[in-house]
Amino acid sequence: MIFEIRHQESYSRGELILRAIFGYLYIALPHAFLLFFLLIWSSILGFIAFWSILFTGRYPESFFEFQTKFIKWEMRVNARIMHLCDGYPGFGLDVEDENIKFYVPYKEDISRSNALIKFLFGWLYVGIPHGFALFFRIIGTFFVQFVAFWIVLFTGEFPKKMHDFIVGTSRWAQRVNLYLGFMTDTYPPFSGHRQENELGYEFDRTEPENNQ
Amino acid sequence: MSTDYYPIQQPEDLPAREREDAMGGYFMMFASLAAGLPLPIINLIAAIIYYHVNKHKSRFVRFHSLQSLLSQLPVSLLNAGLVVWAISFFKYDFNFDNTFLSYLIVVILANLLYLGFSIAAAIKARKGLMYYFIFFGKLSYEIVYKVKDEEEQIYRNNPPI
Repeated sequence: MIFEIRHQESYSRGELILRAIFGYLYIALPHAFLLFFLLIWSSILGFIAFWSILFTGRYPESFFEFQTKFIKWEMRVNARIMHLCDGYPGFGLDVEDENIKFYVPYKEDISRSNALIKFLFGWLYVGIPHGFALFFRIIGTFFVQFVAFWIVLFTGEFPKKMHDFIVGTSRWAQRVNLYLGFMTDTYPPFSGHRQENELGYEFDRTEPENNQ
Repeated sequence: MSTDYYPIQQPEDLPAREREDAMGGYFMMFASLAAGLPLPIINLIAAIIYYHVNKHKSRFVRFHSLQSLLSQLPVSLLNAGLVVWAISFFKYDFNFDNTFLSYLIVVILANLLYLGFSIAAAIKARKGLMYYFIFFGKLSYEIVYKVKDEEEQIYRNNPPI
């Protein structure tokens, strides 16, 4: 999985204040309204995909595409709410955002036994350990986000390390989400850092064709 | 009225993606389980959405999604009737009589029958094959594969009356 949010050289203080005061009203609310319905559809497709994997060993490609587009949309909104990039997030599943890079390689064969184990015991061997670790990471992220807000407000710059840390938390959570959602067989690492096979796909590079 | 039909695609002409999309239509009967709501109408809504999302992909996908949607109607109505009847038990005096029992058995049998046919159709669709339900198969075929007259499709703008 490749997940990146562009670190801008400078951030608009005006937008930051606007988002902080009215962000939930003009960004979160309209998007959340639409995303709520897509979330229901996404959970229906996810459930059906599980049965499809169990019987055919494949995650239906069009379902997979929908799920990645849906996650992309969520990420666009989250990135703005967390002040990680400027601009208004676009509406729609097919919208491309120049500030966000999200790519999940489509795997032709998904392990059926792995899917069944995930379905039955995923909460135990993924949910609990990752949930526990992420709980503390998220608390740290809130703190970092709070500090970063004031730094951006006074300097107009988002410290790179802080930006990476917040993006890392989202990346970690997203890996867990993808694993539990049967979209990958790779157990999520206990880290928000990019993995070795995810390096080199920064914003100036094109998406890999068949990166496994 | 035209009596021509578009040719039916053969399994070797259908990409895996289309076959999977056709199969997906039959799984919409599990939608209410996924949404966590025991309302039969959820399945129907999911099937309608699925049909509209996929109807332009190919005639094969459209046929299977439409057959799944249409065949869900009677079962959904039966299930809805059961839900309404069951709710009335809580609202009024509980009276688990033989009429309700017989209706319950009919609904269970209808669901099992539908489940069996849907799984068979899903397997066939995955293999790129056509599978025709009684009545709904013919109806879906007529809607999807029948060549419509060109004149019917052209909308003419007219001045106000």
